[in-house]
Amino acid sequence: MLRDHYIFSNGRLKRKDNTLYFFDEQENKKSLPVHQTDNLYIFGEVDLNSSLLNLLSQHDVHLHVFNYYGFYAGTFCPRNKKVSGFTVVQQSVHYLEHEKRLYMARSFLQSAVHHMLRNIRRYKEKTEQYVKNIEEEAKKMDSATTIQELMGIEGRIRQHYYQSFNAILKQDFIFEKRTKQPPQDPLNALISFGNSLCYTTVLSEIYKTQLDPTISFLHEPSTKRFSLCLDLAEIFKPLLVDVVIISCINNRIITQKHFDFLDGMVLLNEEGKKRFIKEWDEKLSTTVQHRKLKRKVSYRYFIRLECYKLIKHFIGDEPYKPLKAWW
Amino acid sequence: MFVIITYDVGEKRVNKVCKKLREYLTWTQNSVFEGEISKSLLMKCLNEIDQIIDEDEDSIYIYEVANPKNIKKQVFGQEKNFDELFL
Repeated sequence: MLRDHYIFSNGRLKRKDNTLYFFDEQENKKSLPVHQTDNLYIFGEVDLNSSLLNLLSQHDVHLHVFNYYGFYAGTFCPRNKKVSGFTVVQQSVHYLEHEKRLYMARSFLQSAVHHMLRNIRRYKEKTEQYVKNIEEEAKKMDSATTIQELMGIEGRIRQHYYQSFNAILKQDFIFEKRTKQPPQDPLNALISFGNSLCYTTVLSEIYKTQLDPTISFLHEPSTKRFSLCLDLAEIFKPLLVDVVIISCINNRIITQKHFDFLDGMVLLNEEGKKRFIKEWDEKLSTTVQHRKLKRKVSYRYFIRLECYKLIKHFIGDEPYKPLKAWW
Repeated sequence: MFVIITYDVGEKRVNKVCKKLREYLTWTQNSVFEGEISKSLLMKCLNEIDQIIDEDEDSIYIYEVANPKNIKKQVFGQEKNFDELFL
């Protein structure tokens, strides 16, 4: 029921009558019901002040800012009310003990590989070779004893996986190699943009739980970034982002004209971003019948359920079994 | 659930009710709001409105729609408010 708003125009975001108002450059105003808002994504140039931030923090609204080129710049997170020292300590234990950390890292990867294979198996006759390569590589996962080994396996699997896009995609999109910061061809631009959306979505779901977003297992936790998001995004990137990318390209929703070619980098232009976000938003609110909960659950809520499963694992309630799409 | 709320209240209280409803639902027309809302949030909203209105004079109608996919909305003349994903 809570929804996200994406702001592309320039203007002013304001607190008025205890709710949110957006004034664009022509002074057209539009009110947004603050009780129904979950996230605000800002792509345009928007002015705001501290009384607005106060209102956002009262209603637990996250504000994500993207820069001129559409790269993720940062998030305004309301004061974290969901804190639990106990969970954080338990979470750290699972990082510090090598065996436990390896188990977590392996689980994330297994789930990621499951979803990758699920994606490309849809195009069986074209991708047989890639499926074999990935399965071959995935077998090594069980015998890996260090995190570095796992990361290496992950990198190689992903390479095979992205290569298989060449067989799947219908238009003239070609994958050569993954380039980021900045992306150098249209497909990389799409992947980067999609991943940054996925990253923010996972972050705002983690903030609704007691987990600490900085303690991670597969990725090395470090300062200045929320690495648990990267871990969890590993599961959801193939499940959500890549599916949206493939359907956008194969249904000709996004074509070559939706990209800006600047020297040395390629970016989605505004129309392209809007089209991609529309598909992304629809994907997140799509619901699936959940086997255990026996009710329909949206993809966005699946991310939250994954966080809850992690907490249960950390506090020794129920061992963590990563999400493997069964539908 | 999807609701449509219409109200007819005394001039003095009109603005207060309108402002309150703007916090919860999407403005569609003068004196009309609509949108998805959870049961508990709707209760909270109505409770707050109850504090504002004068029960002897004012009236507020709430139309609940069980399946929002089943309503068809037609607009004649100007559409006053677009519910858009992008701003």
